[in-house]
Amino acid sequence: MSIEAKNISKTFGSFTALNDVSIQFPSGKLVALLGPSGSGKTTLLRIIAGLEVADKGSVYFEGEHATERSAKDRRVGFVFQHYALFRHMSVFENVAFGLNVKPRETRPSKEEIHERVMKLLKLVQLDWLADRRPSQLSGGQRQRVALARALAVEPKVLLLDEPFGALDAKVRKELRRWLRRLHDEIHVTSIFVTHDVDEALEVADEIVVMNAGRIEQIGTPDRVYEHPANSFVYHFLGNVNLFHTRIHDGQAHFANQTFDVQADSGAALVHARPHDIELSREETGGGWMRACIRYVHAIGPLVRIELIQADNQQIIEAELSRERYAEQRFATGEMVSVRPRQVKVFPAGPAAGDYSI
Amino acid sequence: MAGTISHFHKPPERKQISVGEPRAVRWLLIAIALLFLGLVLVVPLVAVFTEALRKGWVAYGQALIEPDALSAIRLTLIAASIAVPLNLIFGLSASWAITKFQFRGKNLLLTLIDLPFAVSPVISGLIYVLMFGMQGWLGPWLQEHDIKIVFAVPGIVLATLFVTFPFVARELIPLMQAQGSDEEESAIVLGASGWQTFRKVTLPNIKWGLLYGIILCNARAMGEFGAVSVVSGHIRGLTNTMPLHVEILYNEYNFVAAFAVASLLALLALLTLVLKNIVEWQTNRNLHSEPLIEPPENRP
Amino acid sequence: MSSSQKSNVLPGFGLSLGFTIFYLSLVVLIPLSAVFIKTATLSWAEFWETVTTPRVIQSYKLSFGASALSALINGLFGFIVSWVLVRYRFPGKKIIDAIVDLPFALPTAVAGIALTAVYSKNGWIGSLIEPLGIKVAFTRLGVLLALTFIGLPFVVRTIQPVLEDLEIEFEEAAASLGASRWQTIRKIIFPAVFPALLTGVAMSFARALGEYGSVVFISGNMPMKTEITPLLIITKLEQYDTAGATAIAVVMLVSSFSLLLLINLLQAWRARR
Repeated sequence: MSIEAKNISKTFGSFTALNDVSIQFPSGKLVALLGPSGSGKTTLLRIIAGLEVADKGSVYFEGEHATERSAKDRRVGFVFQHYALFRHMSVFENVAFGLNVKPRETRPSKEEIHERVMKLLKLVQLDWLADRRPSQLSGGQRQRVALARALAVEPKVLLLDEPFGALDAKVRKELRRWLRRLHDEIHVTSIFVTHDVDEALEVADEIVVMNAGRIEQIGTPDRVYEHPANSFVYHFLGNVNLFHTRIHDGQAHFANQTFDVQADSGAALVHARPHDIELSREETGGGWMRACIRYVHAIGPLVRIELIQADNQQIIEAELSRERYAEQRFATGEMVSVRPRQVKVFPAGPAAGDYSI
Repeated sequence: MAGTISHFHKPPERKQISVGEPRAVRWLLIAIALLFLGLVLVVPLVAVFTEALRKGWVAYGQALIEPDALSAIRLTLIAASIAVPLNLIFGLSASWAITKFQFRGKNLLLTLIDLPFAVSPVISGLIYVLMFGMQGWLGPWLQEHDIKIVFAVPGIVLATLFVTFPFVARELIPLMQAQGSDEEESAIVLGASGWQTFRKVTLPNIKWGLLYGIILCNARAMGEFGAVSVVSGHIRGLTNTMPLHVEILYNEYNFVAAFAVASLLALLALLTLVLKNIVEWQTNRNLHSEPLIEPPENRP
Repeated sequence: MSSSQKSNVLPGFGLSLGFTIFYLSLVVLIPLSAVFIKTATLSWAEFWETVTTPRVIQSYKLSFGASALSALINGLFGFIVSWVLVRYRFPGKKIIDAIVDLPFALPTAVAGIALTAVYSKNGWIGSLIEPLGIKVAFTRLGVLLALTFIGLPFVVRTIQPVLEDLEIEFEEAAASLGASRWQTIRKIIFPAVFPALLTGVAMSFARALGEYGSVVFISGNMPMKTEITPLLIITKLEQYDTAGATAIAVVMLVSSFSLLLLINLLQAWRARR
């Protein structure tokens, strides 16, 4: 089922959680709402679920106006960050809850309920724990029960609020791959909230990057990563080296290259990822800058090198593969030439380049 | 304020403490604490039972089955059986409104719910005399219609209602606040109606706290003295509750009988303490049952 | 936004809040307002005279003085009791911990006659200390004892959770930095517990101020000597002096409400720290 949110605004006291947000979620996709805390992503999710009422704007399910529909009647599956399993019920009873509370006319028979619950528990690989209480399960198992419970009512949409936020790193990785496989199996339109970039990039079909109650960019993981719409998205998705330059007639010049910028004049910021920084002992001129190696961190698959630019004392961070480093053997204190292989140039907004995440 | 400071959040017993007081200081402090509690709490409690049994079990039994005593017990039970359910409904309704919704004036409401704790029991009785007494607001009208509230059973029930008013609410509000609304929200999203959510999700989660609130409310309802004393009129066999009966017997120097009735109330108090500890134990078990290590993932 | 954000999808807001306010007004607010409205029938001069006669003044002195003293005693011993209960292990600790709540559960009249029986001339403890010249029952000391009994759990149950939550690491850090045990207690533990202690003492004081049942039996109720203010209200009522009783009640209520406000402020202050 496709979902559309139109011109949604929501404030909590003096805090603006969502500021005129409009977005469409296509049917059958797994979409990530990605953003720092306070960006409004959870609020948007809760408004879609009907758990929160927007101050302004409307929600459409499959083109139908659903703003007035209560959470009970929206047929969404919602998975809470802290699972919200009913602690006094067994795993089985938790999953069966949504079926058991149906009105008598539409409620499946006891046998049917049993069959469906067990099928779902098999799907999440927990059928052997059906009689346990939530308190006897691990975090990852609880999360899967919560998912099975949400799926039991055959929702048209699955909404997940920071589904892996409360889990430790290893379980988190396993579970998100599992979610991806599960989605490929059941194909329910799914939206999940996360602040973890890797998680969004790895799992989602599409990513919605949010910040301060607004949507910054919507696109496939590839698109968002390779072509960030603005400085915020660039910053949020990874480490950044910044170089200053100026815009003249809609163009900025940097390292012997010319870039088109969405502004006529003023300052511009050149963004470059550390792994796109090239180091060389030989090259000079032609877009190369001189810098002194201050620190070399050679543990793990990547070698991190910290440099200081000779002319303006700015710090540059570079990442080299182990092989490349082994060829060159850069040493602390050495003067080298530096050049960004690939950059993005954005006009320097009031707060651009100053995103603390 | 009264009787509601429960501490459901007991961390597990501390292990050996590397910093601490010398052994002698430790035992001195324990001795001081025990002596103080002994002199102030334990000795008087024991005295209730020894005084009650001073003339043997027969005298004790007789004091309890005497008609006036029985009628006092009956009235106490009546008052409690009206006050407790009403305040239970109020407590559930107040804690639902306060913990599940945001609204202006919530803090004021919380303070107002606490008011009866801050009011002297004597004044709690006085207010009903001022409303329904002969010189009170409704006094003349009540007399015209031959309705007696003050110095009669209704007055006693009202005074009991007032003094036990906050107990259930004060017990439930912190508990429901700590539990949050996630489970209720899941139930709603899963299609449960409001009533189904309350009955199948909220109620099972708060049952121990609710039980404790009821126990405390009941203990106070049965034991209230000052407020009831003001509105009762002390008519033997008619408007005497157990605590008032204790007072009359005591003032008549009928000590054995007074302590016999008092011992029933003391037993009720002890029962309350035992139940309280069971409830606390249950609540802690529910709160602290997170497994510390991940259970094995592989199937058996 | 975290899940702590309250939602408005749960039903029953109007019903539950409506009933809550209705019941609160009916049982508490309207009856309580009767006290203030009744007092308004007195002129200011009459009111002032009623609440400042020597006998009434004496009762204030006793009620406020004994309540304050009992609250301080409870502050001291309550601290020791909670310290011992939280930090040390000794046989019977669980029972001792449970028994601290006894004053919450025991009807005040029962406490009153029990304390009187134990501390009167022929009682277990009274017979031991009376030869030493210490009279408890039917003196102001008796009033103090009853009020101490009533107020003890407030202090203990307020301090205990704070002591339990106190991380032992702070003390270990202080010790490793060279502080003596006494310095650690004075500079680390006491400041952490102080707001709770203050709250507990204030609650204990507020409770003692209005207490009636346990005091009337042990005090002897001698006017000008061992007569507490709540008793005076009852005495006035029994003499059909409703206005007089109400005037004194207003003084008590205003004090109690001020204390309630103070306690709420203390708790807000604690929550902020």
